[in-house]
Amino acid sequence: MAQADDLIHQPLRLKIMAALYAERDGEPPEFSRLKAITQATDGNLGSHLTALEKAGYVEILKDHVGKRPRTRAKVTADGAKAFRGHVAYLRELVEGID
Amino acid sequence: MVLTKNEAAAALADIQETTRRGATLRGYRIGGPILMLWSVVWALGYLGMGLLPSHQWGWVWLVLDTIGAIGSILLARPADKATRAAGMKSQGNSLKMMGGMAVAIVFVMSTFYVLRPTDPAAYLAFPGLMVGAIYAAVGVFVAGRYLGIGAVMFALTLVGFYAFPEILAFWMASASVALFVSGVWLARA
Repeated sequence: MAQADDLIHQPLRLKIMAALYAERDGEPPEFSRLKAITQATDGNLGSHLTALEKAGYVEILKDHVGKRPRTRAKVTADGAKAFRGHVAYLRELVEGID
Repeated sequence: MVLTKNEAAAALADIQETTRRGATLRGYRIGGPILMLWSVVWALGYLGMGLLPSHQWGWVWLVLDTIGAIGSILLARPADKATRAAGMKSQGNSLKMMGGMAVAIVFVMSTFYVLRPTDPAAYLAFPGLMVGAIYAAVGVFVAGRYLGIGAVMFALTLVGFYAFPEILAFWMASASVALFVSGVWLARA
């Protein structure tokens, strides 16, 4: 049976991981776009991204576009694996698989 | 950590909703430049209708629609590439887009052929009303922002038809500014 991931299960972290997992092969989304997708506040999003980064699930990319600073986030291979595992756990639970 | 079945179902629903919202925003970003392109096509087409004799209108639109269709496919290519890179089955979005445009063109031409309007203003207004209705329908069923865009195009067409019938072609050409602004709005989503 798949295992739950305590770190990912927190509601906002789950949304962040879902958003980043969906974009894993495209251009990493900017902070503002991630905020719109997850409907989080700046502070909340920042602190949960930091928690996910410390766990090695997310990589934060900082650079400049012209003079404008840009912060983007990308799911790591470990993060993608953990997210898949957590989703599998949730599905098994809903479908009643032991 | 132990979850109940209901908590697990709620978490899965959250994931689905977040993924859907992300896909909608991605769709807006792809659709924005395409809408800007069509605003230019729209402006040139209606300027052509205002400046050229009516027997040349069909050719003007045929050329412009072809340019618009090719440009739309080129602008949508990054999205198709990303879909393939994600390992998902490409849904043939370019083909669907071509099919949708072909249906719209055939519908407009067939309607004119069947109804045979005698008022030239009807030829000018009908495509605007149809485009407005299509965007509004997309807004109702797929992505909300298109509802506003469709409503604006529909309203601008009706205002031009009733308030400025003598200069309707030029009114419709200038209405393309609203389409362009809508494209910018989508691209910044």
